[in-house]
Amino acid sequence: MRLLSRLQSWLRAAFGRARLEDEMDAELRFHLENFAEDLVRTDVPRAEALRRARLEFGALERAKEECREQRGVRLLETLLQDLRYGVRSLRKNPGFTAVAVLTLALGIGSTAAVFSVVNAVLLKPLPYPEPARIVTPWWAWPVNDMGDEFPWGQRDFFAFRRQARTFQSLGAFKSDSFILTGSGDPLRLDGIRASAGFFLALGVQPLFGRTFDQEEEEPGHELEVVVSHQLWLDRFGGDPGVLGRSINLNGFSYSIIGVMPDGFVFPRGEEMPFILGFPRQAQLWVPLPTPLNPAGPQDLAVVGRLKNGASAAQAFAELQVFGKGVEAQYPQAVGYYTPVLKPLVSQITGDTRRPLLLLLGAVAVVLLVACSNVANLLLARSLLRNKEFTLRGALGASRGRLLRQLLVENLVLALGGGLLGTLLAWAGVHFAKTFGPSNLPRLQEVNLDLRVFFFVLVAAIATGILFGLPPAFAATRESLVESLRERSQAAGYSARLRNSLLVSQVALALVLVVAAGLLVRTFYSLLATDAGFNPTRVFTFQLTLPSGKYSDVDVMARLYHNVLQHLQSTPGVQHVGFASTVPLGGAPDGTAIRIPDHPVTSAKDAAPFANYLFATPGYFAAVGTPLLRGRDFTDSDTQDSAHVTIITTTMAQKYWPGQDPIGKQVGVGAVRWPLRTIVGIVADTKHASLSEKSSPEMYVPYTQNEIKVWPSMQTMQVALRTTQEPASLLSLIRQALNSVDPDLPLAKPATLASLVDDSVVQPRFSMLLLASFGAIALLLASIGMYGVISYSVARRTREVGIRMALGAAPLQVLRMVLGQGARLVGVGLAIGLLASFGVSRLMTSFLYGVRATDPLTYASVCLLLTFVVLLACYLPARRATRVDPTIALREE
Amino acid sequence: MDKQLDLLQGTLDMLILKAVSLGPLHGYGVLLRIRQISKDSLEIQQGSLYPALYRLEHQGWISSEWGESENKRKAKFYRLTAAGKRRLNTEAAKWNRMADVISGILGTTPEEV
Repeated sequence: MRLLSRLQSWLRAAFGRARLEDEMDAELRFHLENFAEDLVRTDVPRAEALRRARLEFGALERAKEECREQRGVRLLETLLQDLRYGVRSLRKNPGFTAVAVLTLALGIGSTAAVFSVVNAVLLKPLPYPEPARIVTPWWAWPVNDMGDEFPWGQRDFFAFRRQARTFQSLGAFKSDSFILTGSGDPLRLDGIRASAGFFLALGVQPLFGRTFDQEEEEPGHELEVVVSHQLWLDRFGGDPGVLGRSINLNGFSYSIIGVMPDGFVFPRGEEMPFILGFPRQAQLWVPLPTPLNPAGPQDLAVVGRLKNGASAAQAFAELQVFGKGVEAQYPQAVGYYTPVLKPLVSQITGDTRRPLLLLLGAVAVVLLVACSNVANLLLARSLLRNKEFTLRGALGASRGRLLRQLLVENLVLALGGGLLGTLLAWAGVHFAKTFGPSNLPRLQEVNLDLRVFFFVLVAAIATGILFGLPPAFAATRESLVESLRERSQAAGYSARLRNSLLVSQVALALVLVVAAGLLVRTFYSLLATDAGFNPTRVFTFQLTLPSGKYSDVDVMARLYHNVLQHLQSTPGVQHVGFASTVPLGGAPDGTAIRIPDHPVTSAKDAAPFANYLFATPGYFAAVGTPLLRGRDFTDSDTQDSAHVTIITTTMAQKYWPGQDPIGKQVGVGAVRWPLRTIVGIVADTKHASLSEKSSPEMYVPYTQNEIKVWPSMQTMQVALRTTQEPASLLSLIRQALNSVDPDLPLAKPATLASLVDDSVVQPRFSMLLLASFGAIALLLASIGMYGVISYSVARRTREVGIRMALGAAPLQVLRMVLGQGARLVGVGLAIGLLASFGVSRLMTSFLYGVRATDPLTYASVCLLLTFVVLLACYLPARRATRVDPTIALREE
Repeated sequence: MDKQLDLLQGTLDMLILKAVSLGPLHGYGVLLRIRQISKDSLEIQQGSLYPALYRLEHQGWISSEWGESENKRKAKFYRLTAAGKRRLNTEAAKWNRMADVISGILGTTPEEV
């Protein structure tokens, strides 16, 4: 109640000032006139009565001022006054204002840009209803160091879905590729096979039409397809009449039942385990086929929506009970059924959290350097304004009043910086979207929303106070008497403050530049790493067979043989071959293996394990992987001949250390499959990223696929080593494919070199960002050093003059000034080095081929920093040597 | 001793509240009313009357509105609000207690100690 009336009177004071003034005048006039009239009634002459009324009332203006003060007008008014004064004084110093606002804009802008990415990727809720209830259950990998996302088998999934009590909906899904034929060139589409419950668990509605919206599969819906918004636009021209239309996928006729809204592409490849091979963007969804092979491979990802009120812990407990049950039923499964339950949001952001937080930390350091720089500028400026403050103090301004006015001025600066910084952030976000790594999840959702604006506002105000307060204290600290005395020594506090600000800038810049340096080293050691192949003039593409036409692996193998022969006879092709995955074409499948020389122990860490890839004769020559020992596959390796395999160096060293593995035997998984004889050893190649640690790998001739159902041979990756620019061969290659079967799509054509480039986009992006932050910090620190040394040279003109008059050589003066700078740099470097040792330890997981304490990086960064900063000192130092003693001494 | 008493610090607010509690008054009327009920023994500094009125209004104890005075002129009238009434009561009680205590102290004779 009282609060309300106070607020009302404040509002009135703020917005109805003119009216209030009028009312106050009228009220006081009424008082005086009535008083005078009462006097007239006691026979005082009118003029005399008015005079006496005024006299008795006392100082009218003072009463008015007190009235205004009582109403709370004063606070706002002085604030406005400070604001006007601040703007005016900043306008009078355009140079200072420009430098300060620009520095702040750099700091605030880059922080806001990084924050907007963090906001979109980590903070914004997922675009699904009640996203907190959506989880992805996995099993822990049975082998150590392989992550915690082992997929589900079909039997387990359907068994669990039948009995689950804590889940409202559960959907399984896996990736598959589809060939769209029937109109124009065959087109390969990346799709998802999803069980009923998949869309229900996510809670998404189609743009129109319907999805597979039952909780359980119903017969008769196997040939239905839901298409993505993008595919709908690209292939069907955004025609709303597309529902019910039939399209030919993999040789089967599917009917379109729904179109998803724009932006729905779940799951994205980068959000899911590598090993499941999900596409970057799903283009269509079809039902998971039923009836299911009960003992099918473990290749399903699962998404579930918890029941309202069920907690993740309850769901985890239920999964645990289920896993125990499976292990009790199948003794060989013991150790393979430890559940892992991830909230969908951490599934999606996954590994991007740490790099983003690293960038946010780095950019916060830039902001700190910017603040400290502006604080130094202000400090120098406030010393120049000393006389002004002294005068205002003498006229009765309290220290609090002066402080407030300085703070308002600094806030004006900070808000100006924030405004310009927002523009910079906008440009930065645009830049990141255009050039940023396309595998950063949710990058396209980045924009400057309200939360980012709020962040900028808070950052601006916080920096305004942070950089404004210390100089304001310093400026108002000196007492009246001391200030009036010329050349007072009271500037000691300011000088100490200035030096410590400078030291902190050098230290912070060092930390950033060291971090950037380590990333640069990482990037170059990635490029220099021995990836086990030679990307020069190698063209790759993915060949997917329509599964309707080519269902049997022997038919597939015959087709691949045909394609191989046609491609070999294409002019310009030197070597051709294909494998399940070419270098950097994606992670290969893995399997447990058995080695007769090594009887399996019960401990699960000891279970031998290897990646399993099909390859054709000539594949290693095509990608340039050296065959170290033994022989390559040949056309005479068939189902009927002896079963052979080629293994990698890592596999040889791991399972046959110190022995010659050629002629030794190895088999896949359970006892059913025959053993293979090792006939060759090749170098390790990198499949998922250049920084991956090589795991044991075995290659098997594509003609000897005895398991038949696994791994799928439906998609192979083709590599062609050419004698000319690979891109020029594209049409010839297409012709060769067409002549084998016109329904064969040529998907994801790329050069091996561009696959390498794509794989380093993310480290390159981090490196470039961190390097530019380091450069900004270095620049700011140099400007700061230049300012401080210039100022101290200016203050010491007289001293320098005396020294020179007494015979000091210019070189000695130069050494004196540079020495002052060098001391500050030295202290800054020492502190910065200590901090860097601590910070770089947090970076270990981002580094490759370089240690966090790499002495070369530290030494060269220190040298660079010393050189740049001393260069900034040199300019004012040289000015000092030109001081003319006679002029300097006459000054003052 | 002077005929008129100086106002004790802080009592002006209470007197104004009391004055307007007897009926709405304009500023000049408040002055006259206090003079009248104190039988001219209290003199109020006119310059401090208006800041006090503004302060009381800002705090929500009195409210004001424009009306017509007895001599047909526009004048600003103040009236007591509900909060003001409570305030006046507590202030008066405090004042009375204080006055009792002080007069008790001043009336003490040597024998009583």
